[in-house]
Amino acid sequence: MTDTTADLIHGNASAVPAGVAIGALNNGFHLASAKDFNSDIEVLNYALTLEYLEAEFYRQGNKANLVTGKEKQYLMQIGADEASHVATLTATIQKLGGTPVGAPAVDYGGAFDSRKSYLTTAHIFENKGVGAYLGAAGFIKNKMILQAAAGIFGVEARHAAVVGNLLGLKAEGGVYMGSFEKGASKSNVLAAVAPFLVNPDKVVAAITY
Amino acid sequence: MGINKIFGGRPVLEFADEHSRRSFLRNAALIGVGVTYVATRPGDPVAFGNADRGFKNDAAKSDLDILNYALTLEYLEAAFYTAGLKAKLLKGRDLELIDPIQQHETDHVATVRKTITDLGGKPVAQPKVKFPAGTFTSRAAFLKTAGTFEELGVKAYHGQVTLVKDPALLAAAASIAGVESRHAAIIAQITGGNPFPAPIEANLPMGAVLKAAMPFIAK
Repeated sequence: MTDTTADLIHGNASAVPAGVAIGALNNGFHLASAKDFNSDIEVLNYALTLEYLEAEFYRQGNKANLVTGKEKQYLMQIGADEASHVATLTATIQKLGGTPVGAPAVDYGGAFDSRKSYLTTAHIFENKGVGAYLGAAGFIKNKMILQAAAGIFGVEARHAAVVGNLLGLKAEGGVYMGSFEKGASKSNVLAAVAPFLVNPDKVVAAITY
Repeated sequence: MGINKIFGGRPVLEFADEHSRRSFLRNAALIGVGVTYVATRPGDPVAFGNADRGFKNDAAKSDLDILNYALTLEYLEAAFYTAGLKAKLLKGRDLELIDPIQQHETDHVATVRKTITDLGGKPVAQPKVKFPAGTFTSRAAFLKTAGTFEELGVKAYHGQVTLVKDPALLAAAASIAGVESRHAAIIAQITGGNPFPAPIEANLPMGAVLKAAMPFIAK
């Protein structure tokens, strides 16, 4: 990163010991461990993988014509947001001199069998996305990248809440997840999305709800 | 790798409408890293950059200053929802969705206060609040102001991301900011607004936020 960037911020966050616990608030950043990410680019590629999954998920889901009216409009907009995140992360990685990971082969199983399965899977994706960004954010050394990641994280939280509401879930624990968002570890997130990632020869079984 | 050639050559970037396409292009064009971090247009809602947007004044603030700033906004929000719920303007699903927000804001106040104290700082006193006439006279008026508060809160938190020094505090702020984003989206959804105004949360410097909050603080 440029020196200009460093000047904009107060020193280098990475110089401060990670995991400085401040009461109940420090619930996210310490989830990531040193072996999870070696660089900002690795964090960005991790985020990019998740965004690929989400963008393609909505592209297929919206094509399946499971929803109508306002609901459809929301899901189209969410899909456009995810596609935008893919583009943002890809270009950011390239600008940093890194190589963006390729898109994974995906199979969403029975997610598009019905409106309910579509929305339920979307809800899982969005909440995992929220947790993933929060859990990985502590690794990002460059503050401007952190700003962008935080900005994406907030939008994933919007998606999660609205999809939860479309499903008619209870407010607390369905639409909101408490007074504080919780980070998810990389291993937790990858385990959650693993059923959707396939190699070309293998198709996963449909997920059921 | 070309972003138009992923998923085995199938296009991913398929837009529902012209608005979505433009929104995408705007975001893609401002990718703010490595060069200037400045948006292509002043006031761009998804600008990452600090330059010329009022953030220079914020740069001298300490983490405690930032925490007290957040605390002030949380005080306002908590007081707002407490008064709003007391006015009994909502029922059914509306009430179910708004009721937890009051608790969230109250929890944010308590946690931010405690964090300031833990760090050896002194929490600012709760400001005297006043809500403009008519704020609590109808569901529509209450929710409209709620939406204003929430979107402002989101922009306020995102405006400080690059300025907080302690990573643990940043984690804390982020975990609160995400909740404010949920609130903002839900209020927009139930009032017929746009729950997703931009693909990346917008941000504002302290001065602009406090100016917007002034009508709610009694002199």
